[in-house]
Amino acid sequence: MRARSDRRVLLAQAAAVLSFFLLWEAASRLALADPRLLPPPSIVLPKAAELLADEGFRGHLWVTVREMALAGLIAAPLGVGIGLALAESPYLGRAFKPFFHFIAAVPKSVFLPVFILLFGIGFGQKVAFGVFQAIFVLVIATAAAVAAVPEELLRLARANGATRWQIWAEIHWNAMLPLILEGLRLGMIFNIAGVIFAEMYVSRAGLGQRFSTWGESFRMPELFAGVLIAAALSIIVNETLRALERRAGAWRTA
Amino acid sequence: MSLHLAEPRPASPVGAPEQPAIEVRGITHRYQTGRGEVLALRDINLSVAPGRFVGLVGPSGCGKSSLLMMMAGLVRPSEGQIAVRGAPITGPAPERLGVVFQEASLLPWRTALENVAFPLKLRGVPRAEREARAEQLLHLVGLKGFENRHPHELSGGMKQRVAIARGFCQDPPVLLMDEPFAALDEQTRMTLGDELLRIWEQYRKTVVFVTHGLTEAVYLCDEVVVLSGRPGEVLARIEIDLPRPRTWEVMATEHFGRLREQIWSLIRRQS
Repeated sequence: MRARSDRRVLLAQAAAVLSFFLLWEAASRLALADPRLLPPPSIVLPKAAELLADEGFRGHLWVTVREMALAGLIAAPLGVGIGLALAESPYLGRAFKPFFHFIAAVPKSVFLPVFILLFGIGFGQKVAFGVFQAIFVLVIATAAAVAAVPEELLRLARANGATRWQIWAEIHWNAMLPLILEGLRLGMIFNIAGVIFAEMYVSRAGLGQRFSTWGESFRMPELFAGVLIAAALSIIVNETLRALERRAGAWRTA
Repeated sequence: MSLHLAEPRPASPVGAPEQPAIEVRGITHRYQTGRGEVLALRDINLSVAPGRFVGLVGPSGCGKSSLLMMMAGLVRPSEGQIAVRGAPITGPAPERLGVVFQEASLLPWRTALENVAFPLKLRGVPRAEREARAEQLLHLVGLKGFENRHPHELSGGMKQRVAIARGFCQDPPVLLMDEPFAALDEQTRMTLGDELLRIWEQYRKTVVFVTHGLTEAVYLCDEVVVLSGRPGEVLARIEIDLPRPRTWEVMATEHFGRLREQIWSLIRRQS
């Protein structure tokens, strides 16, 4: 029963993807959309394969992947650390948590010119901007995760003589992990967006730099192929983190 | 089945005064709220002999749960002292006291078996040893075959059984139970009450049982301590002289009804 309904779901999904590409193809071929602005997938998909085979393009892709990964590696411990500090110290939390909510609400792109003045237009600036994009949602998610640790479980651990460290390892860690991974996942989405945006704004290398060049020189097949590749990249990152999140939070699903 | 729980302790030799399992002396408790100081408990004195099943009842907010939390070493009283088996309570003492809370308080990311073994894990007992013991306890509370289930796969009654098994895990001489069946439906509550009595008859631990249920209190206990409304004071200590082992038929007896009525009239005057 289960396997059969699984297969039906899979079939429906495949049909949806297929019809998306067919509609796109038709729109372009039948000139419902200007084919010069919207090249059909029969041109875009081979172009994507061509780009991936091209060493020059792979160099750009690699720059973006490195920027994004390094920004994630810096933002994760920093964001979680700040979130823990805000949640654990009533004084720090009351004093500074509002600022994180305020800045989280501001579109980060307005700060991009400042980042250029501070860090230049190279690799470091993209990483810094990625960190800046990712960190607020991580801080907020971590602080919320601490607040979500059930008081009754802390009491239970204390009643059984748990040390401070044991309470962290046994209760906090397990209760918080799925929520922190969720924050990390959202942070990575912001991070990727930030890195590519910074590259598009001004840069010498990276996916975003390619996008703006192709856009300006009207090379639509390359642009659309690049967009598909960037989309695939962020989907892979997101789904990997989502799988981790599900594993860490398997106990949450009733 | 060999369960390595302590055998029932023999009564002290004649002449030697028996040391109480729990000695509460002059407990007074105040706490601060936004609207000033609240006097929660006033001069509570109580002594519980080993192996007794003692109920703690009283109107809502009388501080009976707070008193239990003080015995568990989780709340420090403003004044007074509590001693368990002769040694003062200054903080949690899991070797002397097992605690069962109203919410089953199971770790949702651990299996039933791991939950029961949790107190032993905190003490650094090796996995094989602590899980062997937890398995025996799960069987004792009727959960054979549920060792590897997670809490979200268990019913409310099963969760509370796991919590009771966990309370027994370290074989403490004293078990503190804070309205352990309050969140359960009537039928489950009755069944679990019987199970608890069955286990208790076997091991004769000292039990302090906080409850709102007067029927439950009379049915389970050797003695019911009635606290007054805030500030909580000991109003009466009522000896429940119903024969043991008890079965549900006892609830239909006139004597059961009189005892229940006696407690109810004390509490009713309070609210």
